[in-house]
Amino acid sequence: MRCTLAALAALAAAVLAASSAAAAKPRVASINLCADQLVLLLADPEQIATLSWLAADPEESLLAAEARRHALNYGTAEELLRHAPDVVIAGTYTNDFTRRLLARLGFAVVALEPETDVAGIAANLAIVARAIGQEARGERLIAAMHERRAHLEATRPAERPAAVVVRPGGFTVGADSLAHELLELAGVRNVAAEQGLDRWGSLSAETLVRSRPELIVFTGYRADQPSLANAALLHPALARLARSRPTVTVPTAYWACGLPQSLDSVEMVRQPAP
Amino acid sequence: MRSARLYVTLATLALAAAAASLAIGRTSAGPTFGFGGAELADVILLEIRLPRALLGLLVGGTLGLCGAALQGLLRNPLAEPGLLGASSGGALGAVVVFYFGLAGADSLALPIGAVTGSLAALATLYGLAARRGDLLTIILAGIAVNALAAALTSLALNFAPSPYAALEILFWMLGSLADRTLAHVWLVLPLMLAGWLLVAASARGLDALTLGGETAASLGFDPRRTQWLVVGGTALAVGAAVAVTGVVGFVGLVVPHLLRPWAGFRPSALLGPSFLGGAALTLAADCAIRLLPPGPELKLGVVTALLGAPFFLHLIMQPRRGGASAA
Repeated sequence: MRCTLAALAALAAAVLAASSAAAAKPRVASINLCADQLVLLLADPEQIATLSWLAADPEESLLAAEARRHALNYGTAEELLRHAPDVVIAGTYTNDFTRRLLARLGFAVVALEPETDVAGIAANLAIVARAIGQEARGERLIAAMHERRAHLEATRPAERPAAVVVRPGGFTVGADSLAHELLELAGVRNVAAEQGLDRWGSLSAETLVRSRPELIVFTGYRADQPSLANAALLHPALARLARSRPTVTVPTAYWACGLPQSLDSVEMVRQPAP
Repeated sequence: MRSARLYVTLATLALAAAAASLAIGRTSAGPTFGFGGAELADVILLEIRLPRALLGLLVGGTLGLCGAALQGLLRNPLAEPGLLGASSGGALGAVVVFYFGLAGADSLALPIGAVTGSLAALATLYGLAARRGDLLTIILAGIAVNALAAALTSLALNFAPSPYAALEILFWMLGSLADRTLAHVWLVLPLMLAGWLLVAASARGLDALTLGGETAASLGFDPRRTQWLVVGGTALAVGAAVAVTGVVGFVGLVVPHLLRPWAGFRPSALLGPSFLGGAALTLAADCAIRLLPPGPELKLGVVTALLGAPFFLHLIMQPRRGGASAA
């Protein structure tokens, strides 16, 4: 008897929950660092069911403080099931098995392409905004970002120094990447792209030194101690070059994911330390 | 009598591990037990944990069985399923699917790619070694096929379309049972069954081979037939396993060693126990993953190697007794 009553109560609760959810905006879960940050920008806080654990790491995420207010997940189906979201946002390279299982379990799964330019950021903002019923906020963010981009373009310095990006592990950024477009906006020439590198990869120390860069852009993985982290990354030949050139440090999180805030890096690159 | 007790013990262990695999879950806060309340229980049990437990059983059993058969066939305690290129061929096939972005197009593209790669590795092996069917040629050809597949996999990683794609491929190759579905079980089951039957058909030939190839032939067993039963069966079953779980190392190597003192010297007597032992070990490792403190899930291949390697060292450093190292 008591079991029946409990079951009835549970049923009633489920029906109530379902009817109030229909009125409210969809609850959203994200299992991808870049999607996490777009969700944080677009969603009402009470819409957010859970974000990936990387979102709360200030090394990786520009919105770590905001992310820490929400439940975090490690991207497995069972965890997400318990958060009962309406929409799950992932990346196209997020574990394929998990995405398919979630779709099979009846969740609306949205997969975002990695942003390779500012247009890509706008596209992903629009996709997430539509998925979580925040179209108006999405349009405002996109318009503000385009306006800022236009302003940066109008104020671009006439002189275009040659710049080289040094990332952890000797990687650099080539053409067809978000960082490349931001460098162009900042008004510097990306040496690696001129050397024919597209997307991602590494250039040898010799190539970098011979290209005679006038500016060195580090992407520090430790934003608070960039010189220490980057000193270890440098080939001695590059280190010598770096001592005689202006340098600038862009924390990795600005370029790892495409966000409206990624445009901040344009101003950083325009104001190098001598 | 002795073997009956061994079978019962191992079957009990495997079933207990499977039951634990169904009962242990993992949330952001760490391990959980039970099924998360009435309305979630069905989905968690049937859609998430059951496929995981079934695949652990199938993949672990396959690795144990094929490891035991290969060690018997090659009369070499170092033999394991990865040796013939079935694993690395499967990994290459899957990476090619990733590379051309086909994984998103069809949920079965990845497993189909892996089985194709595994069969291609076997076909290459057959082409290289068919004319001279001796064991040494098969092993050397297997090593060459392995090296080629590994090199091509690295090449694909080198030219991966994005760092995220490269990372996803690397993670997949570490092996995992997480978030698989029953569709994956149905995909691999027929291939594995066929592989198991081929390997099982080699049992008496394997026993005869312990007396040497010529003696076996004089007893009416064709050594070549035994070879190809084991090699073909392994490629099918292990290729299917790699297809859905990535590369899970060490199970095929350790389990036959572990069980040989109890199962005795005859290779055929080791096949069944190794199947059950492999299943139990793989399921136990997969449970261990979920019992760890909160954090991103470890990969199964990492855990089987972490558990297996020290144990294996301990085993081979012990004074030789019984048949612990001789096949």
